[in-house]
Amino acid sequence: MGYVDEGFSIYDLSLWVEGLGVSLWIFVVSSIIGIFLGVSIGLIRYYRVPFIGKALMVISEFLKNSPVLVQLFLVYFGIPALFAIDMTPNQAAIITLSGNTAAFIAVIVISSIQAIDKRQLEAARSFALSEVVILKRIIFPQSLAIAMPMLVSLAINQLQVTSLISVIGVIDLTRVGDIVTQRTFEPFIVWPIIGATYFVLAKIIAIVGSRLEKKYSAYRVTT
Amino acid sequence: MAQYLPAFVEGFWVTAEVSVISIIGSFIIGIFIAMMRVSQNKVLNTVSGIYIDLFRNIPFIVLIFFGYYGLPEIDIYLDAFWTGCLVLSVAVGAYVGETLRAGILGIDKGIIEAAKSFGFSRAKIYLKIILPIALTTSIRPLGSVFINLILTTSILSAITLNELTGASKVIASTTFRPFEVYVFLVIFYGVLTFAISGLISMWHNRLNQYNGEGT
Repeated sequence: MGYVDEGFSIYDLSLWVEGLGVSLWIFVVSSIIGIFLGVSIGLIRYYRVPFIGKALMVISEFLKNSPVLVQLFLVYFGIPALFAIDMTPNQAAIITLSGNTAAFIAVIVISSIQAIDKRQLEAARSFALSEVVILKRIIFPQSLAIAMPMLVSLAINQLQVTSLISVIGVIDLTRVGDIVTQRTFEPFIVWPIIGATYFVLAKIIAIVGSRLEKKYSAYRVTT
Repeated sequence: MAQYLPAFVEGFWVTAEVSVISIIGSFIIGIFIAMMRVSQNKVLNTVSGIYIDLFRNIPFIVLIFFGYYGLPEIDIYLDAFWTGCLVLSVAVGAYVGETLRAGILGIDKGIIEAAKSFGFSRAKIYLKIILPIALTTSIRPLGSVFINLILTTSILSAITLNELTGASKVIASTTFRPFEVYVFLVIFYGVLTFAISGLISMWHNRLNQYNGEGT
């Protein structure tokens, strides 16, 4: 068994830390952009902005129903070829994952707004509350409570999806696993460690998520 | 572009083959996992719980690399195609198991009590009552699990399998038209999924028209 440890060095540990950092960084950045875009798309659709609303929803449907890997290839190989621009793997990763997250968020936003009792909105309008106040005080808190469980499982899912960016050359956690495996020829040690890292991250999101769910469930109106 | 059609069609067939084999494989694994998950036996219960938790929280690409580079280490030599089928079946089996578990727990206890009082054996209760009911009521969620499986097959291109995505990658690099190729591919996968989920909906409605869950 002596040879097992020979292949590994402290350098591998620093690679692991770096990969973890890159994965988390891309996950956080694309989630923030994705939430912002997704909420915008959802609201555009909800207020029935003509044409744009429908067009964005059609695009969202295709982003939800095609492999993220293909979307990554489209952004990383397709867009630079079409517009003759340069794009780094990290930029392509953030653009793709933001767009993909936005598509899922948009659908969650719409369904959770529609779950709010329409009579509340009618009542608010008859009290002459402005649309902004209605959105901020009535729609937002309640739809957030309704959307929370869906958002948590989306976050866990999107964390796993980040692993695909390794295929276009981002040095994330999965790519680090690949690099270390190629060098040490120890797939049985490397991949379980990488898998365990993702597992722990997913569990952390789940724990934080269930706290948030509890916190926001107070906004839920039970009739 | 027409001369690249055969390569694309061939890729589609590989995707179809992997998908069908893995759907069957994951379905069989999923039934066992679900039955273990609802059993009274503590060991079976815990093992299946860990199985579901593990495979639902580890990215598929990590599992496939582990399978592709790891299995030869323990003298199991499979090509990319069969590694893909194996890992997909094992991983998606966790999702199928969790979905069926929900379906089984949703069954009216009275039906099972009735079967017991008629003296049905446990095996017979499972085969003739619990599984058929759980399957009919879970068609929709199972359908979305399997649609996800089909989309996940694209990741097998990372272990050199020339399925739909792998074949398109070759076409994109030979034609120097990556944008057009990948836009077409996104639309192709999208239309494929819409078609399948439409069929699943129809099937769901037909099977559930008598138990008040239709429409």
